[in-house]
Amino acid sequence: MRPSHAKTAFVLALFLLGTPLALIAGEATDDGGEQRFLTRVRRLTFEGRRAGEGYFSPEGKKLVFQSERDAANPFYQIYLMDLETGETERVSPGHGKTTCPFLRPGTNDVLFGSTHHDPESERWQREELELRASGKERRYAWDYDPEMELWVRDAETGELRRLTNARGYDAEASYSPDGEWIVFSSTRGAYSSELTSEETKLLELNPSFFGELFRMRADGSGLEQLTDAPGYDGGPFFFPDGERIVWRRFDREGLIADIFTAAADGSEARQVTDFGAMSWAPYVHPSGEYILFASNKLGFSNFEIFMVDVDGQREPVRITHTDGFDGLPVPSPDGSKLVWTSSRHKGEGGQLYMGDWNHEAARAALAASPKRAAAE
Amino acid sequence: MAKKRIGTLAALALLGMGLPGLPAGATESGLRQHVEALASDAWQGRMTGSEGAVATVEYLVEQLTALGAQPLPGEDDFVLEFEFTAGTDDTGSAITLEDASVESPDPSGGQSFAGTGLVQALSFSEDGEVTGPAVFAGYGMVVPDDDEFFYDSYAGIDVEGKIVVALRYFPEDAEDETRARLSRFAGLRYKAMQARERGALAMVVITGPRSPNAGEVVPMAFDAAVADSGLLAVSANAEVAEKLLAYGSTKTLEEIQKSFDDANPHVVGFDLEGLELTIKASVRREKKIGRNVVGILPGAVPAGSNGSGGSNGSNGSPDKPYLVIGAHFDHLGKGRTAGSLADKSEADAIHYGADDNASGVAAALSVAGRLAGKETTRKLVLAFWSGEEIGILGSADFVKNGPLAVEEIAAYINFDMVGRSKDNKLSLQAAGSSPVWPSLIEQSNVPVGFDLSIQNDPYLPTDSTSFNTVKVPTLNFFTGSHEDYHRPSDTAEKINYEDLERISQLGTLIAGKVSRLDAPPEFVTVERKVEEGGGRDGVRAFTGTIPDYGTEVEGLLLSGVIEGGPADEGGLLGGDVIVQFGEKEISNIYDYTYALDAVKIGVPVKIVFLRDGERQETTITPRSRD
Repeated sequence: MRPSHAKTAFVLALFLLGTPLALIAGEATDDGGEQRFLTRVRRLTFEGRRAGEGYFSPEGKKLVFQSERDAANPFYQIYLMDLETGETERVSPGHGKTTCPFLRPGTNDVLFGSTHHDPESERWQREELELRASGKERRYAWDYDPEMELWVRDAETGELRRLTNARGYDAEASYSPDGEWIVFSSTRGAYSSELTSEETKLLELNPSFFGELFRMRADGSGLEQLTDAPGYDGGPFFFPDGERIVWRRFDREGLIADIFTAAADGSEARQVTDFGAMSWAPYVHPSGEYILFASNKLGFSNFEIFMVDVDGQREPVRITHTDGFDGLPVPSPDGSKLVWTSSRHKGEGGQLYMGDWNHEAARAALAASPKRAAAE
Repeated sequence: MAKKRIGTLAALALLGMGLPGLPAGATESGLRQHVEALASDAWQGRMTGSEGAVATVEYLVEQLTALGAQPLPGEDDFVLEFEFTAGTDDTGSAITLEDASVESPDPSGGQSFAGTGLVQALSFSEDGEVTGPAVFAGYGMVVPDDDEFFYDSYAGIDVEGKIVVALRYFPEDAEDETRARLSRFAGLRYKAMQARERGALAMVVITGPRSPNAGEVVPMAFDAAVADSGLLAVSANAEVAEKLLAYGSTKTLEEIQKSFDDANPHVVGFDLEGLELTIKASVRREKKIGRNVVGILPGAVPAGSNGSGGSNGSNGSPDKPYLVIGAHFDHLGKGRTAGSLADKSEADAIHYGADDNASGVAAALSVAGRLAGKETTRKLVLAFWSGEEIGILGSADFVKNGPLAVEEIAAYINFDMVGRSKDNKLSLQAAGSSPVWPSLIEQSNVPVGFDLSIQNDPYLPTDSTSFNTVKVPTLNFFTGSHEDYHRPSDTAEKINYEDLERISQLGTLIAGKVSRLDAPPEFVTVERKVEEGGGRDGVRAFTGTIPDYGTEVEGLLLSGVIEGGPADEGGLLGGDVIVQFGEKEISNIYDYTYALDAVKIGVPVKIVFLRDGERQETTITPRSRD
């Protein structure tokens, strides 16, 4: 699960813990609608309690993802799957928490957020394992660990490099198509300046409120802040041409989120959804024509995948039609496949799914969609 | 790291390979060839012990020879024989009623009953003759005490040294929930065991006038798994039953049965006073020879290993040095056995068994072809079982008496009914038997791409269960049941060869990975979900539904319905999901089985089902099985 959305962690907890999800009124369980766009849908991951956040390598032959599958570590670690042979290896250090991996074009570099450098990280692991061994289960919640920093591992040589070094949660990073830039989300602002008493309280209750987008060079130099709006900005990705970025912005209370795009320097920000629900986890299709994202518009814990044209001119079109969670959609670089995270197997956590993506049907459906009221 | 790379290359090489001697892309036609051979008219449905089975054995021996396989250690060839009971018949069982007050021998000789339709041995009876006093024990049932419910036909009566007379089935008028409980303990073999444990001399079973098959003797079931039950057991018809009960009660048999039919645990049996009963049971069991076909595939010592390659090499031999891949090749012959679901119009037709299990044989052969001669740490054993359809006999004999010690077997991979994949679906069952399966399955399926359903339960109606019993991790490939299951219409042209080829690819990758594991897979004992209380012969209801065992949904998904059966007549279709049966919510196959146990023959039952996500209702009327 991309942790990004998680002031609303309690919402996610509903599906992550396998709570039975009621049918939303009027929504049937058939996936007839899904088959318009997605065929040969299959579950990709089976090992461990959870897996999610799958991102393709630029040539589409590998997939990097996070998964809880190590008996000794109850938190996510990062894994690299060879999509031709199925061989899968862990690329993160093995201890601590990690999240949000991304592969750097033209290199063997794997970028991810990690707390393994934190001397306390092994203690958190032990405590979590002891809690689970006692038969209890913490509600799934992402804690915006201020020790989280961005790290890169060379999957060939094993070399590990640290890219950020500022107190505050640094994660949700991705590369530009040319591999020269990184965009990410950080709560560092909350730790680097004097906070008012109201802000101090907010940091305790809802640290993600302080999440803003940043951009830097691939070696960690040239840091710039791209956003400065109240509420959590996170989960940024570049458009296929590298000119613009897409991300999601939460409101002040952290319950409603919408999809935004902007130029790569943060200017010309544009809102493309307005469901009044939690719309997040956007990713641009490699055609550059539309954005895939997830929203709980149809029910508090029933996340479905939608798509919207990049300018948000028309009403978003629904893609998935299954009970429970479907989100974090990521198309393959050739646009022919979709990988996403789903709890449709009714397991205790999300797992990665893959299906064949019908781009032509998607274009047609978007063209037929009515104009979005908010778009003039 | 280096090791990983080797694994990658090996996996790629395996995927690209066809069967030996065939051009690339010919593997699919190889599979077709095997299925068409096994499911041909010539082999007559491959009934265990039949000529058709012998011909199939010859074919499989040829295939093993072509693969370069060797017999198992200590064996001269690939054929492993086992003895089994092919049928039973009665050769003169009799019941004699004498008046006990008359000095023995009764000058009148008493009343003797024998002959077809009057008295017949139960198929599991011992041979012999006993004389003694008799006692009526109601339904002769014992349901273990579980706090909520208690039923013991022997509470308050003494059967030691006596002949027990008991009703077949279970109380007819019990509440649904009670019926469901009772039916699990109504098997005749189980009833006989209970009587024997209480010191009974023999058991006479009568079918009450208020039950299905009223007044008839119990047919001699084709019970291949018979071992002596250790008790003389016969059934008697209504005429004999009336005469017997007249010794203990002035009521009619119907009245007596009715008093037991609400399952009141306080209604007890009674002595048949003044009766001296003689039971003679005479059963002929036809013994036949079944044949498994098993060989060891040629392998290659992995690069970097300093092993001698010999089976006794202490250096090169890994812990648990064998991996067994198998499938049963037997089927139902012309369907004259309990397993056939053919309707009357198809009686005596060849049951081709193309899916069940020519498809599994073809898949196992194909996997073996891809792995033979390849680098593996463990030796691959290729096994074709007989006797599966009549009680998993061949594989059970192998794990008990076979030339391989089960402790040497790292895992068993089974293919049973893998030819009917639909919509890219495949089930991998028994995955709970080892923690290695999810990881091996995940990695192996990435390049093959099935929409997998993974099921943990290792207690399956197929040969993998024999291995689970001896604590060997198992995995079973299965593409689901269908309307041709166990019928003559399970034919070769209905097989999905394209997906069968992909099943072979997936099986090859998984088997290859197991064969190269440093440590053998750990075995996990999975708890049984349903307690079996004496066989399923208490189940009488026929609804004509074909559950889809391969897909996990909330409810019971039907893969089809038997034509002309109650479900068909009620308008149910494949794809429907039954969510309520009578008043009982159905959330899985176990709930359904439980609900069926409670069903009354001929009484309409309300069914609530989902079709295309919409709740609908219908009514079906269950029929009697025989």
